[in-house]
Amino acid sequence: MSYYLSTVAIYFGVDLLAAWGLNMQFGWAGVPNFAFIIFQAIGAYVTAVLTLGPDTGANSYQHYVLGMQLPFPLPLLAAAAAGGVLSLVIGIIAMARLRRDYQAAVFLLIALIATQVVSGDVGLFNGSNGLAGVPQPLAGTLSSLSLSEYQWAYAGFVAVVCVITLLFLRRLGRSGWQRALRASRDDEAAAGALGLNVAALRLQVFVLGGAIAGLSGGLLVSFITAWSPGGWGYAETFAILTGIILGGVANNWGIFLGTFLVQIVFVEVPSFLPEFGYPGLIDKLEWILIGFMWLTVLLLRPRGIIPERRYKAGIDAAPQRNVSRV
Amino acid sequence: MVTWNIILQAVGFGLVTAAIVGIGSMGFTLQFGVTNILNISYGNILTVGAFAALLAQQAHLGLVVTIIAAPVAGAVATWILARTVFAAFARRHGGAFDLILVTLACSLIIQFSIDAAAQGQSFSFSFPVGSTVHIGPFVFTVLSLGLIATAAVVLGLLMAALHLTRMGKALRALSTDPKLARACGVPMRKILDLTWLVSGALAGLAGLVYVTNSLTVDAGAGLNFLVLVIAAALLGGAGSPIGAVLAALVVGIATEVVAAIGGSYYSQAAGLAILAVVLVARPTARTWGGTVRDEVTV
Repeated sequence: MSYYLSTVAIYFGVDLLAAWGLNMQFGWAGVPNFAFIIFQAIGAYVTAVLTLGPDTGANSYQHYVLGMQLPFPLPLLAAAAAGGVLSLVIGIIAMARLRRDYQAAVFLLIALIATQVVSGDVGLFNGSNGLAGVPQPLAGTLSSLSLSEYQWAYAGFVAVVCVITLLFLRRLGRSGWQRALRASRDDEAAAGALGLNVAALRLQVFVLGGAIAGLSGGLLVSFITAWSPGGWGYAETFAILTGIILGGVANNWGIFLGTFLVQIVFVEVPSFLPEFGYPGLIDKLEWILIGFMWLTVLLLRPRGIIPERRYKAGIDAAPQRNVSRV
Repeated sequence: MVTWNIILQAVGFGLVTAAIVGIGSMGFTLQFGVTNILNISYGNILTVGAFAALLAQQAHLGLVVTIIAAPVAGAVATWILARTVFAAFARRHGGAFDLILVTLACSLIIQFSIDAAAQGQSFSFSFPVGSTVHIGPFVFTVLSLGLIATAAVVLGLLMAALHLTRMGKALRALSTDPKLARACGVPMRKILDLTWLVSGALAGLAGLVYVTNSLTVDAGAGLNFLVLVIAAALLGGAGSPIGAVLAALVVGIATEVVAAIGGSYYSQAAGLAILAVVLVARPTARTWGGTVRDEVTV
């Protein structure tokens, strides 16, 4: 039971990080990044190849690029950097002042194509079989811990990363930069007329969100020790987005609640259900349920359970700091 | 070693791919042009059409029923989806972007419903291929010539219907300016029904021609194919069937040539690369001046 709870806690932390990252892009800036999962995936792959060592000897059963064996925090930092760099490249291509619905389609297509390329090109990250045997961080140093203790230690580490991220997000949430983002989300033309560089603002938040996605992927792969294209299908982005839309777009605690609900409904409950049908049926039914849940929330409560705070500006509002920093 | 012969062969395959993509993107461009909904679940309607043909074949209903089943299933599924789900959301929110979220949810539901029913398997489909025919440097089967002819016939019929009939004129008016068209007494409801039915039938037909060419089908087939369909539809310009077919030629030939030179898994990436270039270059896709039409018409 302790093993099970710590596993759920780690998954929850990773999903929460991803949801906050996606919310920066989707909620703050209105960028419909339906390819979000590929930024988590690149983080996971980079962490994997930077901890596995060369693909010879014990690892010769799989093929990948860049095999290295770096000490603990470095692969995670590299994962965040990889997420950011990939975001920069894709952001420049896909967000060149495109209509928002076209952007959404382009991001979805990018996610579909990324899966095909990574599954097909075996030399890159071992194709559709994926990478396995990724060493867990500090497993040697912490070998005195039992399996359950190690899991709780890792869960604690993930929690610390989450808290740091939340503090960072709260700090950003009060900044003029975030206000400028929101303004360009709500009225692009007006924000442009006020002299804000809308395209640059969006690219910045896109890269930042991508870096958080990469970090979450690195944390996840260090825990589950394997990563393959089956784990990051285009639909995974929608599982994260369901938590955001359900809890409340652009509200950190709303997203916490939404992600928690989605995790409870889709991770915990099915594992207590008696197995029925053929293997894998429950997974597919979960996705159908996510689709229906999404439609229901959009129809009945489009702003989520805890809606975005209404911001005031001007004479009747509290004095605004940092206005001149935009 | 990549020789000229291989590239010419790839161009031949590209014509067949273009025919399949073209049929799909004619339906997509019609739907998108008239309703302004960028319908992601269109790809899943392709799958529905392919599975309808598969079921008809497995029930031994004969070739004619197998061919008819796909467009009928596509038209019915699209019409129901539009009249129930899309219409409900368009009444409440109305923005083009909100509707994308809705079509995505529908896409998830259809995709995994089919996947659950199919138990995650892929099925083989058999279709008479006919003998091979040599035309110049290209080698075609009778079936692939049939696919190209089908695309040409669909294009001809669609262009004639749009430009020679009163309904077609009304539809083009609706696509250009919905408010003005409504004010001029264009029968909105009738034309929108027609749009959903025709575009759905084309999606189903595209599913059928896809499966006659690939000979296997699984629940994800249509959505992966949607990459090329959307690329061609946006490249050709929303609402223009002839543009969609010309764009499909570019996309089809480019993907097959890339597949022949590099790996097959890079062929769709080539489709995306074309799309990226087009979107950056085409002014209608961009937000210059903020005169983007955001309302949808269901």
